[in-house]
Amino acid sequence: MSNLYREELLEHYHEPLNYGVIEDAEVDIDRDNPTCGDTIHLTARLDADDRIAEVKFEGQGCVVSMATASLLTEEVIGKSPEEISAWGLPDIEELLGGMRLSMGRVKCALLALTALQKGLAEAGR
Amino acid sequence: MTWSGNEVRQQFPILQQKVNGKRLIYLDSAASAQKPQVVIDALSSVYSTNYANIHRGIYRLAEEATRQYEAARAKVAKFINAASTEEVIFVRNATEGLNLVAYSWGRSNVGAGDRIIVTEMEHHSNLVPWQWLAQEQGAELSFIPITDVGELDLAALPPLLADGRAKVLAISMMSNVLGTIPDLAEIIHLAHAAGVVVVLDGAQAVPHLPVDVQALDADFMAFSGHKLGGPGIGALWGRRELLVAMPPFLFGGDMILSVRKERSTWNELPYKFEAGTPAIAEAIAFGAAIDFLTELGMESVRQHERRLVTYALAKLSAVPGLQLLGPAPEKHGGAVSFWLEGIHPHDVAAILDEEGICVRAGQHCAAPLHQRFGIPASTRASYYVYNSNEDTDALVAGLHKVIKLLRR
Repeated sequence: MSNLYREELLEHYHEPLNYGVIEDAEVDIDRDNPTCGDTIHLTARLDADDRIAEVKFEGQGCVVSMATASLLTEEVIGKSPEEISAWGLPDIEELLGGMRLSMGRVKCALLALTALQKGLAEAGR
Repeated sequence: MTWSGNEVRQQFPILQQKVNGKRLIYLDSAASAQKPQVVIDALSSVYSTNYANIHRGIYRLAEEATRQYEAARAKVAKFINAASTEEVIFVRNATEGLNLVAYSWGRSNVGAGDRIIVTEMEHHSNLVPWQWLAQEQGAELSFIPITDVGELDLAALPPLLADGRAKVLAISMMSNVLGTIPDLAEIIHLAHAAGVVVVLDGAQAVPHLPVDVQALDADFMAFSGHKLGGPGIGALWGRRELLVAMPPFLFGGDMILSVRKERSTWNELPYKFEAGTPAIAEAIAFGAAIDFLTELGMESVRQHERRLVTYALAKLSAVPGLQLLGPAPEKHGGAVSFWLEGIHPHDVAAILDEEGICVRAGQHCAAPLHQRFGIPASTRASYYVYNSNEDTDALVAGLHKVIKLLRR
């Protein structure tokens, strides 16, 4: 079995971290991936130093999109919006344990990150 | 001629390979079919022995290439029982054929306030060109809905025809998701009685069952060669009097009769619609694919797939939490789509891939249809001449692995 479906990622898929909604969050965004129907609702809060203090998400999708979202909600804590805006596919692949994603799964893997980036931008961050 | 899927499989070199040490199981023929050796040989033979540009050369090579290209057109015409070869136009694929009709016939014949009828099960290629035409001309786009069991709700058609505004009905001959084979005889009869032109999307039907455009009494039909074992090419068939009256779609070489600095006159059918150098070798190999299918017999192809789909529907319906889309086997073509409760189709397809099984996951270019059934996407297994019940057994075993891994 490819490492996409290894136990650690399946844990994040079945029991995602930070699943839910932050009420009255500064960052509040819905994103979807129309080709496969994945959806995400992501909310985030920044602290007094303008760093990410908390991220929550809810949504529907494949193992890649949901497990990545779960991992990302931890990874971005303490990072500045500038740092987040510079992240891309290589950072996500590293987050997933250094795997190379096939072309068909790139959009799934980037769903949560692009939601966060767009949400921060829309919030003026 | 009697044959089995496993015998036919032997003639497809790509299917002889192993994936992760397992037999390659190709269940994505609705997207594109694999190619038999005779088609690969035909392509190679054109380039090795007979290639030149057609319809112009005086030399032997050009004459032979032209002869083979036109012979392929005759094979296509015979395959669908067109009244003449001039009614067959080579295009890139079914999509281009449907666009040609929407653009050329549509812009000349559909005006403000007219109605364009499509169905809820159309592939985007037989929906989006008509959406565009409706917007461009100020026409109204109306839909024949799909019932919960995946059949067309034909009771909705007469009211759409009653006010005399309908000009064209564009419909798939077989749904690429549900596998639904609509009752075309009835639909075309109703449409023609109301003076409505019928455009058929034959992309899924022509490779899988006998098609006779004259018996159907259709007006246009587009289909793809690559879905019936040929290379990347397609054909548009249209009734002669309609094609004669239509303006060209693309302009350039070969489609003109005479050219002056200010104006030109158009070539006769079918060349009026074949501007520029066409896909010559592909057309010739398209003919070889048709020969291959004709030898199997299209009625046998249909019966073979009907047996496969009957078996698949029975086996799949026993998988826990699996919801099948589409009608009963007698109205069901080679595409079988399903939704596995709580598991995303991308994960289904990725895990099946580890087992050497190729299926498609997503919306299969039919987003409105998935919206209709309230599911984000589906998994599709689509069958063809080289498949067998063994493939379904492997699919079902693979699905049990998916469930074991992902369902809690």
